[in-house]
Amino acid sequence: MGKRNTIVISSSDDEDYEPSSRLTRSYQKPKSTSSLTRTNPSRAKKPRLPGSRLTKQSSNVDEMRLAFRDFDEVLNGVKVSAGSRRSNPKELWVDKHKPSSLEELAVNKKKVEEVKSWFEERLMAPKYLQDEVGRSSVLILSGQAGVGKSATVQVIASKIGAQLCEWNTPTPTIWQEHVHNSSAGMNYTSKLDEFENFVERVRKYGLISSSLNGNSKSSIILVIDDLPVTNGRSAFERLQRCLIQLVRSTRVPTAILATDCGNADSSDLTARWLEELQLTLESAGASKVAFNPITNNSIKKTLSRICRQELCNVAAEEIDLIARASGGDIRHAITSLQLFCLKPNVELDLSSSNSTPSCPKENANLLNEFSGGFSSQYGRDETLTLFHALGKFLHNKRDTENVVALDQNAFRVGEKFSRLPFKMDSPEKILCQAHGQSRPITDFLHENVLDFVSDEAMDDAWAVASYLGDADMLLATSRRTLNRHSEIGNVLQSAAASVAVRGVLYGNFHPSPSRWHAIRKPKLWQIEQSSSHNQNEMLRQRFMEDGGSSSFSEVSVIATEYRPVLKWVGYRKAGDVETHGSEDESLKGMSIDEEESEISDDDDIEDW
Amino acid sequence: MAPVLQSSQPWVEKYRPKQVRDVAHQDEVVRVLTNTLETANCPHMLFYGPPGTGKTTTALAIAHQLFGPELYKSRVLELNASDDRGINVVRTKIKDFAAVAVGSAQRQGGYPCPPFKIIILDEADSMTEDAQNALRRTMETYSKVTRFFFICNYISRIIEPLASRCAKFRFKPLSDEIMSSRILHICDQEGLNLDSEALSTLSSISQGDLRRAITYLQGAARLFGSSISSKDLLSVSGVIPVEVVEALYAACKSGNFDLANKEVNNIIAEGYPVSQMLSQLFDVVVEADDVPDEQKARICKSLAEADKRLVDGADEYLQLLDVASNTMRALCNMPQEFSFET
Amino acid sequence: MLWVDKYRPKTLAQVIVHEDIAQNLTKLVTEQDCPHLLFYGPSGSGKKTLIMALLRQIFGPSAEKVKVENRNWKIDAGSRTIDLELTTLASTNHVELSPSDVGFQDRYIVQEIIKEMAKNRPIDTKGKKGFKVLVLNEVDKLSREAQHSLRRTMEKYSASCRLILCCNSSSKVTEAIRSRCLNIRINAPSAEQIVKVLEFIGKKEGLQIPSGFAARIAEKSNRNLRRAILSFETCRVQQYPFTSNQAIPPMDWEEYISEIATDIMKEQSPKRLFQVRGKVYELLINCIPPEIVLKRLLHELLKKLDAELKHEVCHWAAYYEHRMRLGQKAIFHIEAFVAKFMSIYKAFLIATFG
Repeated sequence: MGKRNTIVISSSDDEDYEPSSRLTRSYQKPKSTSSLTRTNPSRAKKPRLPGSRLTKQSSNVDEMRLAFRDFDEVLNGVKVSAGSRRSNPKELWVDKHKPSSLEELAVNKKKVEEVKSWFEERLMAPKYLQDEVGRSSVLILSGQAGVGKSATVQVIASKIGAQLCEWNTPTPTIWQEHVHNSSAGMNYTSKLDEFENFVERVRKYGLISSSLNGNSKSSIILVIDDLPVTNGRSAFERLQRCLIQLVRSTRVPTAILATDCGNADSSDLTARWLEELQLTLESAGASKVAFNPITNNSIKKTLSRICRQELCNVAAEEIDLIARASGGDIRHAITSLQLFCLKPNVELDLSSSNSTPSCPKENANLLNEFSGGFSSQYGRDETLTLFHALGKFLHNKRDTENVVALDQNAFRVGEKFSRLPFKMDSPEKILCQAHGQSRPITDFLHENVLDFVSDEAMDDAWAVASYLGDADMLLATSRRTLNRHSEIGNVLQSAAASVAVRGVLYGNFHPSPSRWHAIRKPKLWQIEQSSSHNQNEMLRQRFMEDGGSSSFSEVSVIATEYRPVLKWVGYRKAGDVETHGSEDESLKGMSIDEEESEISDDDDIEDW
Repeated sequence: MAPVLQSSQPWVEKYRPKQVRDVAHQDEVVRVLTNTLETANCPHMLFYGPPGTGKTTTALAIAHQLFGPELYKSRVLELNASDDRGINVVRTKIKDFAAVAVGSAQRQGGYPCPPFKIIILDEADSMTEDAQNALRRTMETYSKVTRFFFICNYISRIIEPLASRCAKFRFKPLSDEIMSSRILHICDQEGLNLDSEALSTLSSISQGDLRRAITYLQGAARLFGSSISSKDLLSVSGVIPVEVVEALYAACKSGNFDLANKEVNNIIAEGYPVSQMLSQLFDVVVEADDVPDEQKARICKSLAEADKRLVDGADEYLQLLDVASNTMRALCNMPQEFSFET
Repeated sequence: MLWVDKYRPKTLAQVIVHEDIAQNLTKLVTEQDCPHLLFYGPSGSGKKTLIMALLRQIFGPSAEKVKVENRNWKIDAGSRTIDLELTTLASTNHVELSPSDVGFQDRYIVQEIIKEMAKNRPIDTKGKKGFKVLVLNEVDKLSREAQHSLRRTMEKYSASCRLILCCNSSSKVTEAIRSRCLNIRINAPSAEQIVKVLEFIGKKEGLQIPSGFAARIAEKSNRNLRRAILSFETCRVQQYPFTSNQAIPPMDWEEYISEIATDIMKEQSPKRLFQVRGKVYELLINCIPPEIVLKRLLHELLKKLDAELKHEVCHWAAYYEHRMRLGQKAIFHIEAFVAKFMSIYKAFLIATFG
C-alpha cells in the first residue's frame, strides 16, 4: 500500500473528498425514500464509492471515523458484532485490501499482462520511437464499474516503478455553494472547462515536474479516471474534440478509464455517446482493452483472503452468494462483505433465505432493507436485492401442507387453473422491498424463467411467455404515456411488474425440481445495443456504396436483401459492417467464461 | 430550377356551392335556412350526417350570404379538427373571438349582416368531452353576440347539453341521380370525358359521398388526362376490383388453405390496401345468400378483430391470412378452436 | 456498384417496369401542377426508384446532388425540451427523411421539423418562389398523432411545399392523409416483367442467359424486383457461364430461420425454446426486422404442417405479431409464438401418435 506514489490533480478543490458528509447524505436517503420511486440507477452514471478514490489515506482517517459513526447510526444502534470489532473500523476494506501486487489482482491475468506490456512498451521505448506517427500513447480501459480498472493501472504502475498522475473529476458544485462562492468573488467554472484546461496543459507542457516530489526521473503515467459528465450534444462534442487532441498529441502514456453502463437502455443517449466516444478515440489511434466483469471465482478468492486477514468467520455459501450477487463488481463485493461482517449475529443465513423463502421473515426483510438501503447508493444494488426477489419468483415455492385448510366455501376454479398458496409474501411486497423496477424485473424473468420450467411442461412455458408478453405491452404503453401523465405511467409500471411476476408464478405450474441455477443478466440488453449499432453501420455503409447518389434505403431492406448478397458478392470494403462481429464474440466469450468458471470450480482454485 | 407552382384549387373547393339554395339534395334544410336568411335571425345550429353530404358547404354558404365577403373575416371563425382544439383553445381562442362586440344591425352591400358573429366548429364530434363542456359555458355567456354552427358525422358524440341548445339538421346521403348530375356538371366545366360506366362506378365507389367522388375525379383527371375510364377511377380510389375480392372468397370457400394463402400473397404483392380488402370482403360476406347467420357472425368477428389490429399497426399479410383462415373454417364448417382464446 | 444501383432508372423515361405509371407521372409534372403524392406498394416494387426519377423530372439533375446531414433538433415541448437526432438527405429542392426513425416522438419531428422545412422556400433565378418537395419514408410507421400533425402541415404549407409520401401499406395511413394525396399504387412486378428486366441487365453486361434461368430467379424472388436483381448478381459471382439448373443461393437469414423451424419441429421443450431464443437474438442483432422473422418462420412452419394445424398456427402468428406491435421488445412475443406453436404441436403429436 505504502509504496504508491500518487498525486492528485484536481483543479478546483484542493481538499480531497469529504467522505463523511457524503456518506451521511447517502445513508440517510434510503430512510426517507424507503421504496418505490427511485430513478433508474442504470441510466445515470452510477455514483462510485468514494473510498476507492481516496488517495491520501493518512489524512482521511478522521473523516473515515466520522463516516463510520454515521454508519453505526444507520444500523439503528444494533449492537455491532464481534466480527466487525475485530476489523479495523478506520478503513474501508476496499482500500485496506487494495491489491498491492499483480498476483492479488482479481482481474483476468491476460488482460493485466496486456495492459502491463503496453505500458512497458511505451515507457521503455526510446524517445524517438515514441514520436513515431500512428503510435498513440493513449490506452482506453473500458468495463463496468468495479472490475478493477483503476486497481490494475495502480498496481502495474507500482510494479514498473512509474508515478501515477491522476485526474479525478472534481466534486460537483452544488447550487448553494455556488451562491456562496460567487458572493465571495469566485467564479464558477464548469467541470468541462476545467477538464479542457487540464488536458491543454498536459498537451503543451507535459506534466508539471514540480508537482512530482523527488525523483523526477522516474516515468510518469497519466490516468484519467472518469470523464466529465456531459449534458447535451454540444458539450459532448467539446469533450470529444478535447480528447481526440489528447490522443493525437500527448507523449505521456495515458490511461483513460471509461465506465460502461452495461445495461443501459439502447435509447439512452448518454450511453450511446459514451460508446461513440470510445469508437472515435480508437479511430484516432488509441488502444483499447476491455475488461470483463470479474469471475465469481476470482471474487470469491479475494473475499476469502480478506476474511482470513480480517479474521472473520464467513461461511463459504455467503461468500459465494455475495460474489454472485455482485455481478462482477469486486468493489461492491468487498463492500458487501464488510457490511455483512458488521451485522449483528452473523447467524443471518443469506443462502437459506434465498432458496427457502420461508425463512424468518423479519430477518429477510431486515436484510433486504440493509442491502437495499446500503447499496442502492452504490451501484450494484439491483443485483443483490433483485437476486433475492427473482430467486423467490423463479423457484416458485408453494405451500404443500396447508392445502386441506383451503376454504371450502371459496370460489372454486377448475383444477387446471387452481394453484397452491404462495410460500412467501405477496409478490408485490417483495417487489417493493427489492426496489424492483418493472422493466429490469421483466427482462430478468424473461432471461431466466425457462431454466425453471420443467422440461415436459411446454404449456407452462407458453403461459409464462404469454404473460411476459402482456407485461411488455403494458410497459410499452406506460412508456408512451409517460411524458404526459406520469401517474398513469406509474400505475402501468407497477401493473406490468405485477403481471410479469404473477404470470411467471402462475404459469410455471410444474416447476422443475429445485436445483441450483445461476441467474443471468438479460442478454437482451446487449442484443439491443449491438443491433442499434449495427443498424447505424449498415445505413452508413449502404450510403457509401450507393455512391451517395440516390436516397435512403430502409434498414430492413438492407439487412434482409443487400447484406446477404454483399456477403456473397464480396463487395466488402475496409471497415465494413462486420466490425461489430468482434463485439458479439466478446459477448459470447464473456458468457462462456462464466459458464466455464462455474463448471471448473475446483481447478481454478488450484491454479492460483 | 424550381418550376413555379400554378395556383390550382382542389375541385372540391372550386365547385363548392356558394348559395344555400344551390346545396344539392337537402331540400328541407335549404328551406329552413333560406327562411333564416330572409329574417337574418338564426339559432345555434347543429348539422349532422354522413361525410360529403354538404354540411360544411351549407354552413359556409350561409355565413357568406349573411355577411358578404367584406365582413366575413371579422365575423366568422372557422375551426376544424386539424386545428388544435384542446380545452385551452376553446377557453381562449373562441372566447377572444366571441368577446369582441359587434356593431348593430345594418345592411351592408346587400347583405343582411345581423348583429352577431358565427363560429363554425367543423368535425365537432372529434372534440373531447371536456372541451365540449367548456364550450357550453361559453355558449351561454356569449349567446347574445355569437351563433355556433356545429358540424359532425355522429350526433351521438356531441354531449346532450350542447345538442339541446341547437337546431338540428340531418343531412341525407346523396342519391345516385343527384350525384351524377353534379359530377357531369363538373366534367362539363373541366372538359372531361366520362362514359356512363365510369359514372356508375364513380357513384358506387364514393357511396353517396360527393366530396369523395369529386376528389377521385380530380385525381383521375390529373393522372390520366381528360378521358377517364372506370378502371382509372378504381385505381385512384384504392378500391379493389371485384374479381380480386371474389377470388379470395372463392379460395376460402374451397377449403384449401394453400390456395387461400396464394391469393393472400397475391393481394399483398399487388399492393392493395388490406383494410379496404376487409371492408369489401365484409360486403361480400354480408350479402352472400348461401351462408347461414352463425357463420356470417364468425367471419364478421374475425374481420372486426383484424381491422382493429391493422389500426394498431399489425402486419397486413398475417392479418389477412388470419381472416382468410377464419373465413374458410367458418364456411367449410371446420372446428374453430376457441379454447385458447384469452 | 451493385447492379441494383447501377441499372436503377434515373429518369421516368427509362423506367421499364411501371411504364404506364411513369408516363402518367410525367404528364402530371409537365402540367406544373403536382399534388401531394402517396406511393404505396410492397417492398421491392420500385416506389423509391419512381420517386427519385420523378424528382429528377421536376428539378433536373440537381435533384441527384444530395448531401447527408445528421441533424439535431431541440424541440420545446412545453415543460421540457426534447433532443432528437435525425438523418436527412437534402438537395436544394428536396429533403428526404424517415420521421418514424425517432420512435414514439415522431410527432415532434412532423410538427416542428417539417414545418420549418416547409417554411424555407427556395427562390429560383428569376426571383420567384418555387416549391420544395419533402419525401417522407415509411409514413405507415408513423404514430396516429404524427399522422394527424402531418395532415395539418399539408394544409398549412401546401403553397410552399409538396409532400411525397412513401409507404408499404396504405391501410396504416389515415383516411385524412390519403384523401389529401393522389394515391399511387405500385404493385409488385409480375414474373414476366422481372424476367424482362433481368434480360435487359444481362444484355448490358454482355451475359449469356440460358433459357428458363431468369424465370427461376424471378420465381424465387417472390415478385420482388430488387431481390431478383441482387440474386442475379450473386449467381453471376458464384458461377459463370450460367447453367439453367444452377442453384440460386438463398439469403443466409432465410436459411437460418428454416433451421430454426426444423429445430422447433424436432423437439418441443422449454430447453429447446431457450435455444431458439438464442438463434432469434442472432437474427435481431443482424437487424432482421422481427415481423419479418415471424412471417418467415410461419412460412417455414406452414410448409411442414397438416392443413388443420395450419389454421391454428396462422391465427397465432397474427395474434402475436399484433401484440409485438403494441409491445416494446419483440423477442417476448416471437418467443410466445414459438412456445404456443410448440405447445400446440406437442398436443397434436400426442393426440395422433399417442
